Amino acid sequence: MTDGHALATRGLVKRYGSRTALAGLDLSVPAGVVYGFLGPNGAGKTTTMRLLTGLIHPDAGTIELLGRPFGRSDRHRLFDVGALIEQPSFYPYLSARENLRSLAATGARTSRARIEELLEMVGLRDRARDKVQTYSLGMKQRLGIAAALLSDPQLLLLDEPSNGLDPAGIVAMRETLKGLAAAGKTVFVSSHILGEVQQLADVLGIVAAGRLVREGPIEQILEGEGRIRVRVARSEIDAARVILDGLAPGTSAATTDDDGWLSIALAPERAADVNRALASAGIYASGLETGNDLESLFLELTGGDDTASHEGTFFGTAGAGSSPRGRSGGDV
Amino acid sequence: MRLFVAGLRKLVRRPATYVTFGLLVGLLALIYIAVGATARQAATSPNGGRQALLLVTFPGAYTLLLSFILGLGGLFAMIYGAAIAGSEWTWGTLKAAVARGESRSRYQLVSFASIGLMVGIGLLVAFAIGIVVAIIAAGLAQVATTGLGDAATVGTLPELLARGWVALGEACALGFAIATLARSQLAGIGVGIAVYFGEQFAAIFLPDIVKYLPFNAANAVVATSGSFSGNGGGGQALARLDPNTALVVVLAWLIGALVVTALYTERAEISG
Repeated sequence: MTDGHALATRGLVKRYGSRTALAGLDLSVPAGVVYGFLGPNGAGKTTTMRLLTGLIHPDAGTIELLGRPFGRSDRHRLFDVGALIEQPSFYPYLSARENLRSLAATGARTSRARIEELLEMVGLRDRARDKVQTYSLGMKQRLGIAAALLSDPQLLLLDEPSNGLDPAGIVAMRETLKGLAAAGKTVFVSSHILGEVQQLADVLGIVAAGRLVREGPIEQILEGEGRIRVRVARSEIDAARVILDGLAPGTSAATTDDDGWLSIALAPERAADVNRALASAGIYASGLETGNDLESLFLELTGGDDTASHEGTFFGTAGAGSSPRGRSGGDV
Repeated sequence: MRLFVAGLRKLVRRPATYVTFGLLVGLLALIYIAVGATARQAATSPNGGRQALLLVTFPGAYTLLLSFILGLGGLFAMIYGAAIAGSEWTWGTLKAAVARGESRSRYQLVSFASIGLMVGIGLLVAFAIGIVVAIIAAGLAQVATTGLGDAATVGTLPELLARGWVALGEACALGFAIATLARSQLAGIGVGIAVYFGEQFAAIFLPDIVKYLPFNAANAVVATSGSFSGNGGGGQALARLDPNTALVVVLAWLIGALVVTALYTERAEISG
């Protein structure tokens, strides 16, 4: 079906009673990349994850895992797949180490050394003897990631992996997943947090209403989606808008939001041009941000009905700082 | 084998194992001590107090003790089986195993095998404790324990205990199956308890049918001269199957429950 792909689906359909969760999903996940699977709540992300791990079965369509068909009788294919689906699942009365040992008794054979290695990797070695019921959400999530990595899988399926993680945990997870992809593994990450996916993924798939609406390398998808935002005094907004419109002839006009930020569709590399043009006209910006507007693209493709998707959506290149909507940029 | 050992390890660490066993042994000790303390006075009453003395009079006390464990222990075994099976769904641990490529039915059946072994160990330990408690109760009731070493009775104990193990295993398998179908610990335990008491209640009206039902059949696998727990703890002398027929019926229930569990789990859509 798909050469060189770690994961592929064709015409995947799943219905729950009268509700169609997936309406013919076609995914093509290249091997050795981090694939960001984006979609609003209820778009079919978790249903896809369940189908890919054999927890539920499709009403129509086919799945191919690691180059071979995956059906009801092909559970051994999952020996090379690691998964964290929805919330991490553990015996609360067992310790982290005992939980991993129990899990290691299922599926592919796993050595005890691997368990210790993973406990170290996710930073739970010191708490490995404590019962999981005493763990925070973030610690359970880290243990869930360790469990997914237990059999050193070729394909890793992670559903909202950053849930409950603190900032340091998110950074560590991101580095780990990127490292796995660099080592030739394939990482499939489902999320509705655009910023997280934008920082992590090499390839993006956006799903809405059970169908894939966009798929491809993230740079390619975001090409032409660059935006620059500047903040100026309220009295200077109109003058600044004219200057910004002049920098981007033929594109949509600069817009203003309630916080006094002006936004224009421009490649992030042109931030210095914007700053210079405003300064030349005697307008000094109190803030400047750049980024690729995945949020706009996402909302456009998915119908803009997902409020949760507005978290952390605009990653800047101009410095530190962030606005309440998660955009990063810097004062100038 | 590694799945079986892992299953045992989980059960050994699980508080429910000790709570269930502790409740059974605690109630057994309480009842026997109470019987021992009052049996002498009761024996002089015109209303059959002599029955109480039989409980602490060896060698007959052996089978009555086993009958007691099967009656009350059957209920606890069912609750235990339901708790283990239900939590696999509510905690999502079955989901995690299936997502690793583990066979669903193998996982369930091997899990049950490890529970069955724990139940067997529990039966042996409870029986041993019960003998000690019965000796203490006999002392309180001033009954001689000379029958304790009766070779003929002691010689039958291995078979009786093996039959008892099958009976408890059946109750456990029923709880396991019900909780699997309900996908919930609490629902499994609730439905199991309802079945247990429903069966005792139905025995009043439909004794010839009820004797084939799981708990009544389980209590009949061990032949007793009296009926301390007789019909699932009910204490009434109702129609009972002969021990060998009861054993066949119990095995049928046990196998049936496991088949239902395996088939349902194989076909289930696992979510949540």
